[in-house]
Amino acid sequence: MSQLVTGAGAVASVGEGVDEVFRALCAGTSGLGELRGFDRERYRTRHAYEIDDRPAPGTDLPGRATDWLLRAVGEAAAQAGLGEDLSEVPVLIGTGLRELRSAELAWRDGTPFDIGRLHFGTALRTRFGAVRTHTFSGACSASLYALALAADLLTTGAEDTVVVAGVDTLTESMYGLLDRVNSEPPDRVRPFDRDRRGVLMGDGAAAVVLRREDPGAESRALGRVRAVSMNCDANHVTAPDPQGIARAVHEAQWRAGVKPGDIDLVLLHGTGTQLNDAAEAAAIAEVFGREVSGPLMTAIKCMTGHTSGGSGLLSLIVALESLASGRVPPTLGLAEPLPEAEAFRFVREEAREGGDLRVAQIDAFGFGGVNAVAIVERAAR
Amino acid sequence: MTHGPGEVVVTGVGLAVPGAGTPEALLRRTACPVTGPAPEPFDTAARIGRRGHRYKDRATRLALCAALEALRNAGLIPPEGEEVTVPGDTVGVVASSNLGNLDTACLTAAAIAERSAVDLSPMSLPNASSNVIASWVAIRHGLRGPNLMLCNGATSGLDAVHWGAALVAAGRVRRAVVIGVETHNAVVEDLLGRSGGELLDGAAALVVEGARWAEARGARAVAALGPYERRAGLGGCVEALLPDGAAPGVWFTPERYAEGPAGAVPVPGTVPRYDVTGAVGRASGALGVLQCAAAVGWLARAGAGAGAGADPEAGVGSAAFEAGPGAVPDPVPASRQALITSGDDTADAVAGLLLLPTPDRCPPPPARAALISMECSR
Repeated sequence: MSQLVTGAGAVASVGEGVDEVFRALCAGTSGLGELRGFDRERYRTRHAYEIDDRPAPGTDLPGRATDWLLRAVGEAAAQAGLGEDLSEVPVLIGTGLRELRSAELAWRDGTPFDIGRLHFGTALRTRFGAVRTHTFSGACSASLYALALAADLLTTGAEDTVVVAGVDTLTESMYGLLDRVNSEPPDRVRPFDRDRRGVLMGDGAAAVVLRREDPGAESRALGRVRAVSMNCDANHVTAPDPQGIARAVHEAQWRAGVKPGDIDLVLLHGTGTQLNDAAEAAAIAEVFGREVSGPLMTAIKCMTGHTSGGSGLLSLIVALESLASGRVPPTLGLAEPLPEAEAFRFVREEAREGGDLRVAQIDAFGFGGVNAVAIVERAAR
Repeated sequence: MTHGPGEVVVTGVGLAVPGAGTPEALLRRTACPVTGPAPEPFDTAARIGRRGHRYKDRATRLALCAALEALRNAGLIPPEGEEVTVPGDTVGVVASSNLGNLDTACLTAAAIAERSAVDLSPMSLPNASSNVIASWVAIRHGLRGPNLMLCNGATSGLDAVHWGAALVAAGRVRRAVVIGVETHNAVVEDLLGRSGGELLDGAAALVVEGARWAEARGARAVAALGPYERRAGLGGCVEALLPDGAAPGVWFTPERYAEGPAGAVPVPGTVPRYDVTGAVGRASGALGVLQCAAAVGWLARAGAGAGAGADPEAGVGSAAFEAGPGAVPDPVPASRQALITSGDDTADAVAGLLLLPTPDRCPPPPARAALISMECSR
């Protein structure tokens, strides 16, 4: 059973609002910059894809992620005609790192921060009157996991409308530990390139309003969610498992009632790490088989950085915009694809007019082997 | 987000808290808090050993202990061994913790400021992600179903139980292990502004399972999940679960619940109240799961006393059957239900859940009911 997306919102390093973000991505605009909020001297890595909203370079504020989340949810709710009152609407938030950045500032620097705002319920209640709020801290697939749970609520008839959101900001702990484990510090994210060096984190939030299919509702919809799978590798605490990913991709397609040949576009997870991109490419190649050269493929983390828990939903919004417009943002920095992805039809260097795109697949995988894959469809034009 | 009763049942409970090894013991300890020296911290090595756990944080180890016990209690893992006896993709994991990896995040940030990222231990990387607890439970037991981590404030544990049930109700999995865990350390104590002695260092776990799947493998259910609500305040939440002031058999109150003036209390005064945090410390994201574990203990005791009074402290509670002769046993009368609430009017919301006896533990109602407890209490 499918659901309608009736509103969307996005905030990222490349822009504010879905239109601006999508235009920027299609123009090949990158949010890459030198580290703004942390002391650069403490790291080998010096770059990230940050939202430039701090008062001064090198200083940091608590609560930035919460602000972006509220803006993304506000945009999505307004577009869906829900206004500012979400008192009766469940809001499911997927995040990797919650407001842990604020906790770091509070504990280390004594910055005032209410620890009750580590999760987002209080802020959502203050702004939207929302009380049925759930913060899922599910690493980098968290927002697509939240989408899957929302789809289940609509499918079982428990709800008519659910808001789904994702948000993350850089924490110094995660940025520093990634810096520690990278053999050579990356200066940008290069998904699926042979010379990729690893991931750089990015700031961002994304939100959608998901509605049960009602007669007549489709005319206002941005698109349709056909199905979302979610599973766990149960294999390794940080390294991905191609088998677990392949199961998630296959299950999503099976739930959606589509075959690999029906997919016109794939928004890959594509983090630019050695392990993810190799595992994802192997899994996609296995599931798609001879159809692997069919769909257009792209990975937006080359321009947004890894927006962690929010990344899946941001990719999903981009996919819906691409299906509606026929334009697909490029995978920047992809000079020579890794061997497992040689047959993929990547969109490279500049946005492509994809023509008649109808069905898209969105991948999101996270630490702990948590995988989620969504299949979406263009709304009737 | 309300389930019909009877569809999802509890088939296993596991505890990793000092001084309470079973639901019954947790209930006893809650009813009569022990005075004197605090019990020794829970020894995770005694249950899961030391090998392979060196780099796991304390919250993860506690969660592994509770999950192992719950899965064994549910008959999903043999007494010796750790692999589940059902296909791994039929089992989901839902963990809840608000404070679990705060220490890794804050200590790492401080270490970077003092020296540099180059000096960090790469072994800390997994613990920087808040879902590390749920991940390790899945890895340890080969659980390949959906893997959720709730970090949802005061209601988080009860929300986690709900989402475990939701995964089952939606057909995503046949069963899920739900874990609530918190610990304390210098970072947590500082950020909460509380001493370690006030705070839980422990975990609780439940196996929630589709009733038909439990039945199919011959597993015994110890409770059935009733409706769940998340509402703006305690009064609204209780009213949504128990309309018209119906009196539950027991009320597991929010953490450190203080009775307001008579008119402001959402549950009749005759209903016994239990605050599990009095026994185990302030429990944050673990609370709801601990409450459910204690409620399983209450249901077992009520079942053991079949018909003769659900709870000796309940006073008139046992007389609360409204059924007359020939009445069908469904629905379960409120007096045989355990009301569980997490979060109070100062929190972003209050979550509530009813835990019900399973049919084989619900004896036929008495032929005649003298009074309902509500009448007595007014």
